[in-house]
Amino acid sequence: MYKLIEFLRRIFVPLLFVVFEVCAVVYYARSSDYTQARLLTRSNQAVGAVHGVLAGVRRYFSLAGENRLLLGRVATLEEELARYRRMTADSLHEALLADIGPKPYELSVARVISNSINKSRNYLVLDRGLRDGVEEGMGVLSPEGAMVGRVVACSERYAVALSILNTAFKASGKIAGDDYFGSIYWTGDDRYRVRMRELSKYARIEEGDEVVSSGFSQYFPADIPIGFVESFSLSADRMSYDVEIRLAVNVSQLTDVILIRNRDLGEIRDLEFKARTMKN
Amino acid sequence: MYRAYPYILLFFALALLQVFLFDNLSISVYLSPLVYVAFVVLLPIDVRPVVALLAALALGVAMDWTMGGAGINTIATLPLALLRRPLLRSICGEENIREGGVPSPERLGRGSFLRYLIAMVAVHHLIFFVVEALSWSRLPYTLGRWLLSGAVSVGFIWLIAAIFTAKRISKS
Repeated sequence: MYKLIEFLRRIFVPLLFVVFEVCAVVYYARSSDYTQARLLTRSNQAVGAVHGVLAGVRRYFSLAGENRLLLGRVATLEEELARYRRMTADSLHEALLADIGPKPYELSVARVISNSINKSRNYLVLDRGLRDGVEEGMGVLSPEGAMVGRVVACSERYAVALSILNTAFKASGKIAGDDYFGSIYWTGDDRYRVRMRELSKYARIEEGDEVVSSGFSQYFPADIPIGFVESFSLSADRMSYDVEIRLAVNVSQLTDVILIRNRDLGEIRDLEFKARTMKN
Repeated sequence: MYRAYPYILLFFALALLQVFLFDNLSISVYLSPLVYVAFVVLLPIDVRPVVALLAALALGVAMDWTMGGAGINTIATLPLALLRRPLLRSICGEENIREGGVPSPERLGRGSFLRYLIAMVAVHHLIFFVVEALSWSRLPYTLGRWLLSGAVSVGFIWLIAAIFTAKRISKS
């Protein structure tokens, strides 16, 4: 009996270690990006305010850059306004009539309070949550309108978005002005570049071409800028192109983002669910 | 028990540093220092193994919660609790560590402390980055992250150790 107690006493700590380690491994293996985003959302209930203060400080130092950006944006809008002003009253009326009807996408803005780029799975924490109308599935764009990520979890006051610099992020993209599409993903080793695979070999592609969203995604409308073709090559089976894309957005510099909500997302998901259950 | 308060402070200071400073470094995808591991590195040499294990568990769980790690920090931190004593024994010798104390350059000697620190950080970061990547095709990238982040972590933990032990010396 004494020997048994002595034996148990000796293996108690290693045994406890094995139990804890197995629990952690099982929890990690069962986790998904959603689990990680939920954890971040919960911890932000506690540390989000401090992140907000620090983001405010960072934001102060980037004001000059933001002002330049805004001036550029104002200039573009002024240009568009001038074009509209030149239109005759009738044609303007017709254009407005053609635009009547519910728009499928709704835009809002948020501040980035935490943003990582140095992990395989990077997330953005935003200072808008459920109470501000933010919900899971909203697309995230840079102030210039380039693709940044999508919201995967929300609390009352905060939202967590899967960054385009996350190895789990997938989107559908195409060369601007062409119809063939491919799958956009991040390899995890370069914060300025993503890749597109399975782009048909019949696609018209050249270095410097703009890559935009295809519109097949439920989260992003068509023609949202993603980046520019830096290089491309035929895949091993010579059936498609592998494309290296320089991102249109510098994710590490983001202080504000635009959130885009697909009003039809719920309806599309319901339909997909019905189709799946009918199949089964 | 008299040593508990400095360690509670160290725990919170490291967690705050990690979450608000090192997690937000946007210098390179290869640079992701995990300095919170200093807490296990600096635990007293003579601390009971079960206490070291529970401290590592608390640290891992806290960092998983704040970093959204879903268990990865715990997986990487727990082995350190078991390895630290054998590592100290093999680097400094049984005679040298019998008296206990806080591992530091003053207590162990600069060379021995550096070897101990590098070994602890290397094990922790290797487990963390390999489990995070879980891909052989990304091995060069994983090794790059391990080397660069590990080197930066060692530098910062050395500084933290100097500050932590200096405070203790001035108090005593």
